[in-house]
Amino acid sequence: MSEPTAPPPEKTVERNGDRLHPLTPFVRGWGYFVVAAIAMANNESLRSNLELAGIGLVAVLIGGIALGALSWWFTKWQLTDDAIRLDSGFLFRRTRIIRFDRIQAIDVAQPFVARLFNMAELRMDVAGGSRSDGRLSYFSYEDAAKLRGTLLVRAKGEHAAEQAQTPQVESPPLLVVPTGRLLGATLLSSTVLGSLAGLIWLIVATTVLEFHVGLFAGAPLLLGVVQPIWKQVVGNHKFTLSETHDGLRTKRGLFDLQRQTVPPGRVQGLLITEPLVWRLLGWSRVDLDIAGVVGGGNGDGEEDRDGAQLLPVGERQEVAGVLARVLPGLDLSSIEMHRAPERAKWLRPIGWRYLSYGADDQFLVTTRGWVSRRTSIVLHHKTQSVRLQQGPLQRRLRLANVHVDTPTGPTDAVALHRDIHDAARLLEAQADRAREARRTASSPVPVHTQPNPPSPEGSSSSAASPAADSSDT
Amino acid sequence: MDDLFAPSDVSWTPVSPKLAAVRRVTAAIVFGLMTIVGLVSFGLMMGWLYGVLWLVVMGIGFAWTWVLIGRNQRSWKYAEREDELLVSHGIMFRQLVVVPYGRMQFVDVAAGPLERAFGIATVELHTATPATDAKIPGLHPDEASRLRDRLSALGQAQAWGL
Repeated sequence: MSEPTAPPPEKTVERNGDRLHPLTPFVRGWGYFVVAAIAMANNESLRSNLELAGIGLVAVLIGGIALGALSWWFTKWQLTDDAIRLDSGFLFRRTRIIRFDRIQAIDVAQPFVARLFNMAELRMDVAGGSRSDGRLSYFSYEDAAKLRGTLLVRAKGEHAAEQAQTPQVESPPLLVVPTGRLLGATLLSSTVLGSLAGLIWLIVATTVLEFHVGLFAGAPLLLGVVQPIWKQVVGNHKFTLSETHDGLRTKRGLFDLQRQTVPPGRVQGLLITEPLVWRLLGWSRVDLDIAGVVGGGNGDGEEDRDGAQLLPVGERQEVAGVLARVLPGLDLSSIEMHRAPERAKWLRPIGWRYLSYGADDQFLVTTRGWVSRRTSIVLHHKTQSVRLQQGPLQRRLRLANVHVDTPTGPTDAVALHRDIHDAARLLEAQADRAREARRTASSPVPVHTQPNPPSPEGSSSSAASPAADSSDT
Repeated sequence: MDDLFAPSDVSWTPVSPKLAAVRRVTAAIVFGLMTIVGLVSFGLMMGWLYGVLWLVVMGIGFAWTWVLIGRNQRSWKYAEREDELLVSHGIMFRQLVVVPYGRMQFVDVAAGPLERAFGIATVELHTATPATDAKIPGLHPDEASRLRDRLSALGQAQAWGL
């Protein structure tokens, strides 16, 4: 941050060493209490001796509460001039300082139990950090929203004070994905269809043909049918996309309400997935790479790949509208796509027809996949590195792959099986384009999520934009 | 053919032949252990003829590995362009990586005990994505630290936010 923080922002949220919500230990540890209670109830020897069970349960309860209270007492957070500071732990003291300019995105999440108590968790995505690194739980929902507003203002370098007061105004949603379509899309996705076909074959094979493959094979297949449906329908229930000052905001979830903000200029790449059946219906899914948002969070079962999901399923014009907002200037139809040479069919008998790439002065687009067509879009000035690869079979066919690497995320831009001269040209051209794009984009927020914010108060947005331009230098 | 993975408009620096030596020593240790274990177990269980056969197989395998290591070592090369670092390697599976200096997050210099004994080190350039595979093994320690300093200086000068 080069510019000095001239007017100190509002002091309401800024107190020294605040504690979290007093109910935090209970909301965090509710599972512990439930498990303890169930264990007590199920234990035969204890059931016969209810007095002992009662004493045990009380002891466990008191112990849990004491531990929770201790951890709550020793956990404090505070906002300093340029960072948020978090002290925790009573045996092993730990201090974590997250600098505002390192925060890539801030979400307010409400796990189920927390929602019952109107509490919320603040999740900060920090570049290079794992998912759990920037969690602050729990606040009352209002506090979390307010703090999120303050942090966003600081992180983006906007000191427009009025914006902090209206962070949680729900702007009218741009689009809501209907549950029916979500369910239909999931049922028609390649994973579910494939698993379903396998399952049906298995049932037919075992009952009609008396061919006992073993029902063990059924379990993973059944999981392949049920798990995506559950995940999509529960996790993406009422998926809502809306536009705020801070960028596009997504909201989803039946039990765990997830909110996520896509800050302008943080989009690294974009992936459009169209499974076989979806293509007939004109549906597709849009995923994003956002700096600092790790897609494959394995510490967090509930969201593995969809850390940066922009649209779980959308119709063509919805997808086009979303693309125009996230990557303005992108016109997929105007980019000339180059197909892979026909001899690639020795390596991809069917899919070679769908291998192509194209580029204009801002984006590189690659497509591949027959069953599930994947279109990756990469911004030139976000390109991390370019790789040329060739295996022994490819060498015989005079083919090579060109990978364009973006930070971790679902996007995987690779021009597969190109003619070697074409590949060499693409490698050089992409390196040049990336270099050119880095030089020309001297004010490093060339991409704005919102060309024209539809917010009611027009004054705040005009005050915000110059500050936003000079933010992440 | 070769110019595909080593464009001639930049000057390529090969890595030290000591890299092959280190790898050959490692291979010799692995093959040696496998030979002894195989020889003893085959010899005791199935007859010494099989043990000798095993010895021959291992010998051929080691000779082939020896040649492959040499070829692979000769395939490693890197070049410093004005804005990018280029690393090229591989015989069977070839790869050429182009990393802009400005994309660098940090540089690692590493040397294992065997590498230290032979006086070589590995420099690895990390960007924001683990997919970037910009690793240069088999550098003289002086060259490694020179490269590290140069890369971090260039990375600072051309640093580019995410």
